[in-house]
Amino acid sequence: MPPNNITDHRVVVRVPSDSDDVRTAASEGDANVVAVGRTGIPDLEPLVTVTIEGRTALYPNCPPDQAADIATDITDGTLDEGAAVIEHDPDAASFPAAAVRGLDLGTRRVLGGCGWRRPASAADHEAEGGFVDVSPNDVLDAAETLRGRGWGDWRHDDRVADDWRRLRDDEHTAAVVVNAHAAVDGLLLESAPLEVLEGAQLAAQVVGAEKVVVYVSEDDERAVTRTRKAADAYPDPVAPVDVVTGPSAYRAAEPTMVLEAIEGNHRLEARLRPPGSSAPTLHETPALVHTARTLAQLAVAVRTGTPPTRLVTVSGDVESPATVELPESDRLADALAAVTLVDGFKAACVGGRFGGLTPSLDVAADPDALADADLGTEGTVEVLGETRCVLEFVGKRTQFAAETNCGRCVPCREGSTQLTELLRDVYDGDYDAEGIEELTRVMDASSVCEFGVVAGRPARTTLDAFDAEVAAHADGRCPTGTCFDAPEVTH
Amino acid sequence: MSSQHTQDVPPLTETIAPGTATDPDVTSTETETITVDGTEVTVAAGSTLLDAVEAVDTDDQVAALCHYGREDIGPRSTCRTCMVDTDAHGLVPACSTPAEDGLVVDTDTETATEARDVNLDLVLSNHNLRCTTCGKNGRCELQDAAIDNGVEEPRYGVFDDRGAYEPIDDSSSFIQIDRNKCILCNRCVEACNDVQVEGVLRVEGTGADTRIGFQSGVETMEESTCVSCGHCATVCPTGSLVETDIADAATIQLPGFTQKNSIGKTYESSTTSKGPMTPKKGEERTEREQSTETERARESTVDEREGWP
Ligand code: SF4
Ligand code: SF4
Ligand code: FES
Repeated sequence: MPPNNITDHRVVVRVPSDSDDVRTAASEGDANVVAVGRTGIPDLEPLVTVTIEGRTALYPNCPPDQAADIATDITDGTLDEGAAVIEHDPDAASFPAAAVRGLDLGTRRVLGGCGWRRPASAADHEAEGGFVDVSPNDVLDAAETLRGRGWGDWRHDDRVADDWRRLRDDEHTAAVVVNAHAAVDGLLLESAPLEVLEGAQLAAQVVGAEKVVVYVSEDDERAVTRTRKAADAYPDPVAPVDVVTGPSAYRAAEPTMVLEAIEGNHRLEARLRPPGSSAPTLHETPALVHTARTLAQLAVAVRTGTPPTRLVTVSGDVESPATVELPESDRLADALAAVTLVDGFKAACVGGRFGGLTPSLDVAADPDALADADLGTEGTVEVLGETRCVLEFVGKRTQFAAETNCGRCVPCREGSTQLTELLRDVYDGDYDAEGIEELTRVMDASSVCEFGVVAGRPARTTLDAFDAEVAAHADGRCPTGTCFDAPEVTH
Repeated sequence: MSSQHTQDVPPLTETIAPGTATDPDVTSTETETITVDGTEVTVAAGSTLLDAVEAVDTDDQVAALCHYGREDIGPRSTCRTCMVDTDAHGLVPACSTPAEDGLVVDTDTETATEARDVNLDLVLSNHNLRCTTCGKNGRCELQDAAIDNGVEEPRYGVFDDRGAYEPIDDSSSFIQIDRNKCILCNRCVEACNDVQVEGVLRVEGTGADTRIGFQSGVETMEESTCVSCGHCATVCPTGSLVETDIADAATIQLPGFTQKNSIGKTYESSTTSKGPMTPKKGEERTEREQSTETERARESTVDEREGWP
């Protein structure tokens, strides 16, 4: 008999749904095997876990033959005490804290379902207390302190509830658009799609939206199939769910480009956004555009009333990237415990592709603290090791901006091109710090969309924090020995 | 309302694919009174801050280069040489900010002036500034703006790399395109699609490759579905789109030095006499295609990219 939900059974063997070999091997025995999504810690994958009555054994990097053994051995009903074992509430429907690196950090609420619940199982989501029956006012109350997550959110860093109130009184709202273009939003859709969909349904209920449109990158096929399955399993949705794919290009995550992509425009550029404009439109009718992260936070807030958290992904010069969930008061530095640095720590690019460069992660994950430090709030920490040249990094990043912007506005399109040139000029001995600052100021102040607003941030923050290293290049010297050809050795 | 929608016959304009985004309305809904550089101005419903700015003698020049303000063309708001300071919203582009009662606008704060000057220089940085051989010399809005704003040496220089020039498209007997002079204001695209409803021109490409092209996907004006109405050339602020018979009209005649050979390569007409027939419309490439290999390569190799510095 298939289990109703993951807490109904005495013994549950969890296998990664991404790894067919492991799943097939584990399913050979009689054990109750369930397929779950990624945890956010790829270093542990494939991760197999065995739960018996409030105790769970973890088997990171589990090859298929071991998975087969585990599933066979478990039929005697006792845990293998040799593995890392965690104790938890027997009814736990969220991944409990575990003494395994990456799973021992912060908290797991929004990520709670990832690697623990079956992605498209309504029963599992219900076991966690999902599908709450609340009034629109309760939702608005719970959303009071909720701020948009990521640059793909129409209300990035701003309160979302004000728009919702306004639209609630509006005669017609077309859709709640779930922007899941960013990698971390894709992770949520793959591993805990019902959390995201519940957030979207709650928002749809408040504003009376006709439908929910989930937008993912064309490259993220897994997110597409899981979301479709989860939407089919969703009990009594207030609004039907569509899944739409857009180009994988970085800029295609910008909220108005998301709407252009959904409307089917063959070329994506940002729309104007006059100050104070409330909602953008989808097919001429107002729509909400929020990231999967924002909506999953909403679902958790409505259900538990707990304060918001932040998803932080550490990548760059690390052995394997990791995504963890931190209370907003935790420092970004805390997230480093989830990874192994391969080249020490010199700096990090914090807060997105165009984040700020900083030599110190002693800053809270809270968006205000990050903004004060001129860092981004995207939830990414890209580590630059000791032997990395910051000028090279920032030059390439700026060049990326010049090559991939939508082409609409002058400060971003021409600005990023000229900024790349100004950075290149440093190598010829011409370090015009004032010119670089002036240009990044204008890009920030006058670009049409957030792409251009932040495109100059890597350069600006590098000049602030690594002035001497940049200046050394103007004297023909790269402190890390990365940039200039090695001088010819004369004997 | 939506059920009605599905039964409607799609309007003709649905086959037009200009490659631009659907902008929201950026004008005021009512009559508004605002203060510009200390002077109170009342503007009618449907106004932007630029309407108010233009109504007074401002403390500082506001170039507003890409603004056209007629025939419902624009505001495209791409040049950002109309940035002004406001008490409520900080720095905003005047041409695409709705007039708002009680708003106090300043044109000559340090940040506003800096933004306008830098953006004007950025426009010039990608413009072939060989005015002496240009058909629009003396009637060019970019030239006027540069003179009015006292630009002597643009910060980022001017586009002057012969190797990188786009060939002039002189294939049509009626309209010549010199993309090296295009400021991407989009007026021509709107004139062609929204005013004339011809659906010939579009914006294409991204980043530095953004350019004016043809909806049918062809490379030259001659092969395009152009009906030679000339509206695009009328609205073009620069020497980018000009009627062929005046392409050299305003140039200073230097022996052997014309607009065409100042660039290098030119697309000439393939036939000696072009009949009245224009190629059929309808084969527009409007569907979004999967990202191409080049796009993917450009996107994915952020940190491995060659050619740095
Ligand atoms: S800021 Fe950049 S990406 Fe955004 S509209 Fe302007 S050119 Fe396009
Ligand atoms: S060709 Fe002229 S009208 Fe058209 S976008 Fe370029 S500058 Fe503007
Ligand atoms: S005139 Fe306002 S952006 Fe060009």
